[in-house]
Amino acid sequence: MKKYKTTKIFTGIIFLTMMGLSSCEINPIEDPNNPSEAVISANATLSEIQNVVDGSESALREQLNQYYDGVSVIGREWYRFSGSDPRFTSDLLGKGAAVLDANTFYTTQPFAARYRAVKNLNILIDALTNSTAVTDADKRRAGIAYAKTLQAYQLLMVLNEQYGNGVRVDVKNPDALGLFLDKNASLDAIANMLNEAHNDLKNNTAAFPFNEYVYGTTPSQFDKFNRAIAARVNVYRADWNNALSALNESFYNISSPLTEGAYHQYSITGGDLLNPVYFPPNSTGETRVAQPSFITDAESGDTRLNKVSLRTTAASLDGLTSDYDVAVYKTDVDPVPIIRNEELILIYAECNAQNGTTTEAVNAINTIRTAAGLSNYSGGTSTQELIDEILKQRRYSLYGEGHRWVDMRRYGKLGDLPIDRPGDDVWVEFPRPDTEN
Amino acid sequence: MKRTSTLLNLSLFLLLLFATSVKAQQTVSGTVKDEKGETLIGVSVVVKGTAIGTVTNVDGMYSIKMPASSGKLIFSYVGYSTQEKVVAAGTTSFDVVLSEKATKLDEAVVSGLATSVKRSNAANAISQISSRDLTGTTIQSTVDGAMYGKVAGANLSSNGGSPGGGMSVKLRGINSISGNGQPLYVVDGVYYDNSAIAAGLNAVSKAANQGSAANQDNPSSRIADLNPEDIEKIEVLKGASAAAIYGSRAGSGVIIITTKKGRNSGGKPQVSLSQSIGMQTQLRKLGQRNWTADTAFKFLGQNGLDVYNANGGVTHDYEKELYGNKGMMYTTNVGVSGGSENSAYYAGFSRIDEEGIVKHTGYEKSSLRLNLDQRIFKFMDLSISSNYVSSSADRGFFGNDNTSTTMGVSFVSTPSFANILPDALGNYPDNPFAPSNFLQTRDLITNNEKVNRFTSGISLTTRLITQEKQSLQLILKDGIDYYNLETKAVFPTTLQFEANGKGTSGLVALGSNNNKNNNLSAFLVHAYYAPNNLIFRTQAGVTQEKFDANNVLSTATHLIGSQTNIDQAGSIQGEQTRIKQIDKGFFAQEEVNFHDLIVASLGIRADKSSRNGDPDKLYSYPKASLAINVSEFDFWKKNPEAIFNTLKARVAYGEAGNFAVFGSTYSPLVPVVSNGSTGSLIGLQRGNSTIGPERQQELEGGIDLGLLKNKLLFDFTLYKKTNRDFFYPVQIATSTGYSTFMTNAGDLENTGVEIGLDYTPFQKKDFSWNTHFAWWKNKSEITKLNIPAFNFGGFGKTLGTYRLEEGKSATQIVGIGPAGQADPSTGLVVWGDAEPDFQLSWTNTLTYKAFEFSFLLHWKKGGDNINLTTLLADLSGNSPDFDDKDLDPSGNLSNGNYRLSQLGTSASVFIEDASYLRVREIGLAYNMPRKWFRNVCGIKVQLSARNLINIFKYNSYDPEVSNFGVNSISSNVEVTPYPSAKSYFLNVGITF
Repeated sequence: MKKYKTTKIFTGIIFLTMMGLSSCEINPIEDPNNPSEAVISANATLSEIQNVVDGSESALREQLNQYYDGVSVIGREWYRFSGSDPRFTSDLLGKGAAVLDANTFYTTQPFAARYRAVKNLNILIDALTNSTAVTDADKRRAGIAYAKTLQAYQLLMVLNEQYGNGVRVDVKNPDALGLFLDKNASLDAIANMLNEAHNDLKNNTAAFPFNEYVYGTTPSQFDKFNRAIAARVNVYRADWNNALSALNESFYNISSPLTEGAYHQYSITGGDLLNPVYFPPNSTGETRVAQPSFITDAESGDTRLNKVSLRTTAASLDGLTSDYDVAVYKTDVDPVPIIRNEELILIYAECNAQNGTTTEAVNAINTIRTAAGLSNYSGGTSTQELIDEILKQRRYSLYGEGHRWVDMRRYGKLGDLPIDRPGDDVWVEFPRPDTEN
Repeated sequence: MKRTSTLLNLSLFLLLLFATSVKAQQTVSGTVKDEKGETLIGVSVVVKGTAIGTVTNVDGMYSIKMPASSGKLIFSYVGYSTQEKVVAAGTTSFDVVLSEKATKLDEAVVSGLATSVKRSNAANAISQISSRDLTGTTIQSTVDGAMYGKVAGANLSSNGGSPGGGMSVKLRGINSISGNGQPLYVVDGVYYDNSAIAAGLNAVSKAANQGSAANQDNPSSRIADLNPEDIEKIEVLKGASAAAIYGSRAGSGVIIITTKKGRNSGGKPQVSLSQSIGMQTQLRKLGQRNWTADTAFKFLGQNGLDVYNANGGVTHDYEKELYGNKGMMYTTNVGVSGGSENSAYYAGFSRIDEEGIVKHTGYEKSSLRLNLDQRIFKFMDLSISSNYVSSSADRGFFGNDNTSTTMGVSFVSTPSFANILPDALGNYPDNPFAPSNFLQTRDLITNNEKVNRFTSGISLTTRLITQEKQSLQLILKDGIDYYNLETKAVFPTTLQFEANGKGTSGLVALGSNNNKNNNLSAFLVHAYYAPNNLIFRTQAGVTQEKFDANNVLSTATHLIGSQTNIDQAGSIQGEQTRIKQIDKGFFAQEEVNFHDLIVASLGIRADKSSRNGDPDKLYSYPKASLAINVSEFDFWKKNPEAIFNTLKARVAYGEAGNFAVFGSTYSPLVPVVSNGSTGSLIGLQRGNSTIGPERQQELEGGIDLGLLKNKLLFDFTLYKKTNRDFFYPVQIATSTGYSTFMTNAGDLENTGVEIGLDYTPFQKKDFSWNTHFAWWKNKSEITKLNIPAFNFGGFGKTLGTYRLEEGKSATQIVGIGPAGQADPSTGLVVWGDAEPDFQLSWTNTLTYKAFEFSFLLHWKKGGDNINLTTLLADLSGNSPDFDDKDLDPSGNLSNGNYRLSQLGTSASVFIEDASYLRVREIGLAYNMPRKWFRNVCGIKVQLSARNLINIFKYNSYDPEVSNFGVNSISSNVEVTPYPSAKSYFLNVGITF
């Protein structure tokens, strides 16, 4: 009988142990499959910081095909033919009653992709701010300035499409997103971000606490990229003097190769991306073909017509026809420019034309014309005439790089873009995605 | 003073509790026999209204001390009807004969985590499938298949006919939108994993690449591992009102499986052996289109005509070639059980070897089970169940693809006049009409799943207090379920679609999946027999469940020669998915039984889990139930004119939970490659750090009636189940950097009716007939949707898709349609609904002398499918009814041309009524007289069949399909599946 009692007591103890076992706390289980935002933001190692940098640079490339198709089709640089989606030739060109939709991929995907990069760069900023592995304050400053520069560039890309709708600049807290700023305030905010970063980059002799591949290797070299973007932003703000001083500190050089600049890189490495704007020549079904006026409006002998190539058979869809493929990129791993010297020379020309320093403007124009195999500029030198010439040179020099629509819009010349079919429209801006309202 | 009185009260209470009453005692003893005069061992004998009980010994004898000089004794035994006997004062010897005429009312059904209750006192309509119902009529290779048509309120649908199973089980409608919609399986107290893990075929089929991200590999469900022959009974807790005791994993219902146990047989083992031989053939042959030179040219152009002429117009029956294999099926079962007073055992061995209706496909399974019960002390019982299963399934390559490589798609793309048969040397010609020669694919590929699974449960019951008026038990349980699933997909470079640089130049995908479930629980169960036949049963306890899964899939492409080692490849990609989870729970329940007149219960389960945003937050799930046995009241019992022998009204309410998909709490950074190095990029889904389980609330009520001395039993159940705040990854402002957020998107409601009828018109010595009807119907409605209506599942609105819309059925199927009919804002027409109008199952068992005949008829009325097999056949001009003319309302176009003319205009023609009437099971058995074998053994010979008769209009192999496997919604889509089979068996069983 005593034995039984002991056993009963023993079982009682087991029970109590199990109770104890069960009543204690459950600790959170970290994501077993991926690094988490919270952990990286709180205290990242140097290699994790490098991962976020690489991830952010990769993110800059996401959905660029949708971006370039959007701005190039509306800017009447090319037609995007697709057998599976009619909206490239209806909505984007404003065919008949078709309008841009706030909830369709061409609006939402480029928008989301840019903000995804901004978010990733915000994680980088948090990681740099909080990481105990980054001990040098200058390095930290340089790293954060790198992130802000790229964020400003991404917001500018969003603004290029959203224009009058403006952009949300403060997106740090997903639960308390900042308001949409109007167009001018958005541009000012972007310029400010660039300037803040510039202050932390220039004369900063510390090394980045990571390797970046956008431009240069040191903070002061990267600052030249920052200033190049700042020059573009200031031109969009019609702030010619600030644009010129930004140019001064950028990699702008009238005698350097026109291709000098910052690029998105592509490779066939597993998991990497291929150039999304490249289509093999003479494709059918899915293709990009040049808007015919690009060829017919060109001065004879313009070598920049090598950006299109004659097709073996014309491509037609939805009442549109073109004999030329877009051939800006020759292979599927060609890099895609972010900003390059050719644009900076044209910005130099534009600012000088606007400021009335005609000789400098003409000189820059001629640099571009010579490179394109054309004779020197012989037209009038009034500001209007020079601007018209510069817009033309920008059209050919920066073909397919997302500028035509933006340029014509800032000079109020959208009405001058060619209309292919009666009833087609030239849109001023993309609608704000529905999910933002 | 106050303290003293409290103490006083307490001691008084304790005195009441523990005091043994001093009354006249009486010892009664006797023998319990069955109607044939054989003694029954292990019959439970209980003094009514007390905790005093015993069981009969090897000689069928019992002896019990009654607390009073007279009283009532209750005799109960599984399979026999329970008897309540009055023992008069002075009686010392009392013999009893139990009748085998057990009715459903005598079944014990689960009522708490550690308790069960007689069905006549149950407040829930819990479905129960006995071993006889499960495997008595015919041979079953998987448990899920064996449950077909046997559970009122369940909608079972197989994903296709591939050997090894794969089935979706939905209890009482749609249970979740984005979460798990499949029930929780608990086998002998062990949480039994039922994952369906993809084998990596998508790398070849690319089925999930365009538009639909859902897995379409059609893997088997792991519940298939369990051997149906080992099962004693299955209890189905269909909704939260019954399943609340399982808390946050029970939102889609719980299926409790109890395996066989040994019984006291006086040490003599009982052995049963059975061997069956069977064969399976294609359930329905569709035939092929009759091609002529003219139609070949018209439909397939010059190329078609050239091939037609080159082969001299000779046609081949490719349906027979591909699906015509007569698959042999062998099943061996051995069961040995027995026991003595203190120990009992059951050992089961089974071996299944089946060949499919497609050559080189098949299923093999070996299962070994050992269940032990041991009385350690008079007050302590130990129970152990253990099961090892090893299985291998070759499942072929069927279903949807975007590369025209699956055998199903390539078959419907190939006209019968093309010659794709191998030549004398075994070389396969390229298929001129499709990227793949399906006969070559069938002969050369491997798609194999191998499982090694060990499941073991241990339970220790200690009777801490056993007194006249009360008893207290402690029950400790521990269960482990572990399996390794190896998937292997091999597509050699010789295949038409992998040769000469096509495809990925050969592919080998090896998956290794380790899953481990562990659950621990401890319970105290207290019974208190108060005066006036008032019984209180209290239980309280704690539980802990751990789940750990690690799935690694390595895919090698650009293979060297005919090598299948993943090293012999130009490129290897790896994927790993891990899931970790820990849950802890608390449970308490109080049941009150007054005289079997009124039975009420009140309980609560509270759970915390690492799957929730706050892992330490307790989510509680209450339950309450009430059953009133009107027929037990004296006024009723004593009324000779009462028609009903049983009249019970019952009502139950409960809540249960369902976790959001694993990972919903995390904001992960996903890997990307840039500049030659790997980077981390924020994922598209924003983690929800406050997410908790979805909550199902169910109210169920019903009436049970018994007439004609309970020979006719009728039960009627109504339920209303609400899934409040179901989760969905909703679109959020993308300026956050994310695209989706798993959050509450709306409410979903299921309402339904279940009616059961049990009748035994005859029960004579030589002839008996038992019949059972079950009729059930469910309707769902999205009662609230916080986000705009959206299309979901399927392949888009052109072909038909599901659509979640407030105020509409959760399973409505919509698609494009003509301008007049379509909703002007969406351009959509509601063309159907996957939910059946109703289902009816009818089971019959007839015995005549030594013959036993039984069958199960299953009728599903209504419920639509999206049939894309026919469309794919049409696209190549191959549908068997292509040239018929009975579809086009204008009578102009042939069926094939009419369907093609609707593509892009209206989805109506792809959405078909999937009603069916089928004889699921039929069997005729003959029990040879034992005297032929000198009474040493009994031999039973049985002829049986599954799916013998199938009646349906649906224009394909079988209306039961699901291209998307076990997804909550979006089943009922058919894309060239492995066709279903019918099977025939000859079975010989020996028992001694």
